[in-house]
Amino acid sequence: MIRNELSSKKPLNILEKIEESLEKLNDKIEIMIEIQKNGNTNNLRSPLQLPDASLDVMTLLSMPDHLRKTAMTICRCTRATAEEISDQTKRARAVESAYLNQLVIMGYLKKERKGRKAYFFIDKESLS
Amino acid sequence: MSKIIAVHSYKGGTGKTLFSVNLAAALAKAGKKVCVFDLDFRAPSLFAILKTPNVDFWLNDYLNNTCEISKTLINLSSRIPGNGTFYACLANPSTEAIRDMSSKDRKWEMRALGRLLALRDALLKNQEFDYLFFDTSPGLQYSSINAIVAADYVVVATTGDRSDVDGTKRMLSELYNLFEKKTGLVLNKVLDPSPTAKKTEMQNKIKADYQVPMLGMVPCFCEVLRAEGGLIFVQDKPDHPFTKILTEMARKIENNEIE
Repeated sequence: MIRNELSSKKPLNILEKIEESLEKLNDKIEIMIEIQKNGNTNNLRSPLQLPDASLDVMTLLSMPDHLRKTAMTICRCTRATAEEISDQTKRARAVESAYLNQLVIMGYLKKERKGRKAYFFIDKESLS
Repeated sequence: MSKIIAVHSYKGGTGKTLFSVNLAAALAKAGKKVCVFDLDFRAPSLFAILKTPNVDFWLNDYLNNTCEISKTLINLSSRIPGNGTFYACLANPSTEAIRDMSSKDRKWEMRALGRLLALRDALLKNQEFDYLFFDTSPGLQYSSINAIVAADYVVVATTGDRSDVDGTKRMLSELYNLFEKKTGLVLNKVLDPSPTAKKTEMQNKIKADYQVPMLGMVPCFCEVLRAEGGLIFVQDKPDHPFTKILTEMARKIENNEIE
């Protein structure tokens, strides 16, 4: 069955799928590294626990410096990839990716994949 | 380059509105297209200073998402000499509106920040405004912090009053630093119009004390007090020393001579 599937798809598509999976895996590893670096997950609130998490200025003020910079940049862009954020903050893409994913876990941002790119944005429901 | 300028202070009565209006007027006089926004929703005052008749839409309406920003802009260019364009966007002074703005929740404030950030595209890019001035309310209010976050440059008005000095220092280190904002200090109501040498010494001391660059120093002028907020000095008293100081500050902003 796998052989049939492989033969029916172009090798390029398969490679793209592998790349996408690796990127997802990379995102997860980055989150785990970030959690390990910051001690524990106590300060990472899940969206289920905090459905109303809003990225207002008082929340921005109470954030640790490294996350505030990323959060403020996404506030200005509304929707962006980790690379676009890293262009503005002048930090590495992988670092911004980890911080953005952390903001997603905390319930402040949403993440959407379009093809090979992952877009981060402030939840439209909270903006409407 | 700084295009959106928030004028803020720790305490009230430091001259925020006076500076906002006169800095904007000085830039309009120099041929720029400017707009002053009243973000002091708890104590709106711009409408009284600019004596604007029949306002149909307020800044409150734009932030409440009930109208477009263009509907709230009032063209007051005829009041300013020169070829510039001077607009104002006012806060609703009615008690009901003040009460409404005081009871907004965090989600509303978050959306308000989004709408303030959207002004960069709506006005600077699409309508070719050169400068937007946010006249804020004093202290750590949501509307003021939203304005600071949305701005490129923050003018902090302060006086020599001890209660103001400590709070301003704290605000500079605990608020502006966290948001990494470019800041300029204006020391207002300076009692002793000292000779130049002494003035430089005083400026250096203040700079060292507050740890931020100075935009200017404004002596205490009796004429400013006598005007009771009813004059736009840049327009009504073009030769007054106050106008000259404010024009110099506007020139620094225009030429990006701010550290």
